[in-house]
Amino acid sequence: MDQIIREKIREVKKGDQAAFSDVVEFYQHKIYQHCYRMLGNAHEAEDMAQEAFIRAYINIDSFDDGRKFSTWLYRIATNLTIDRIRKRKPDYFLDAEIKGTEGLDMYSQLASTDISPSDKVEGIELQRYIHQEISELPPKYRSIIILRYIEEFSLQEISEILDIPLGTVKTRIHRGREALRKRLRHV
Amino acid sequence: MNAHSESIALMHKYLDGDLNKTEEQQLQGHLEGCEDCQAHLRELRRTIALLQSTEHIEAPVNFADKVMNHLPKEKKRMKYKR
Repeated sequence: MDQIIREKIREVKKGDQAAFSDVVEFYQHKIYQHCYRMLGNAHEAEDMAQEAFIRAYINIDSFDDGRKFSTWLYRIATNLTIDRIRKRKPDYFLDAEIKGTEGLDMYSQLASTDISPSDKVEGIELQRYIHQEISELPPKYRSIIILRYIEEFSLQEISEILDIPLGTVKTRIHRGREALRKRLRHV
Repeated sequence: MNAHSESIALMHKYLDGDLNKTEEQQLQGHLEGCEDCQAHLRELRRTIALLQSTEHIEAPVNFADKVMNHLPKEKKRMKYKR
């Protein structure tokens, strides 16, 4: 797949916009999920994920072909979500709660597994609880926890995505795990 | 650093696959006699398992089309080439 993406990027760089749609198709769910976990709600996630792809397209000439495209794309998305979190108005959360049904729809759309209906409700509650606890971590820990345990990047890859030293990634993942342990220990 | 905080630091190294042989024995030795630290490690492992159990979330339908519709206009030279 890496090879196909590399080829598509080359075409985009030559000015072929249509080639970019394959790139979007391939990464859309990953990048959307990343934004959703970072921001905690569907509305902002869609905005920021869309913005990430647009910025990637506009700045494609500055992407170094020798590097991994996914790393570069995740970096753009992470930076956008962290900026968004910083710029949030204090009353934002009130609005988000009123519009909160979006999240409900999202969970009801999730693929069903073969567990009983009552188990499933608990599953949804648990999913929502975990999601909530992730959303409340400070962003610098949140990004690393999401990249490591939901998106399954290695610590080295995370260091490249976030452009911070490996040692810093390790310190932050330790703190992130401890913070979540305290929040999730009674689940 | 006391024995517990040292042991917790080792747990995190363990979770990141960074323990050497000596440290592994040190952690093992401490855990055998310390129920608090056993519980701590159990909670850390469970936290990770919970994170890994989160459902994968998909982008909304038409997401890709919306992105493509928001891109700036294609450079002209490419259109001639096709």
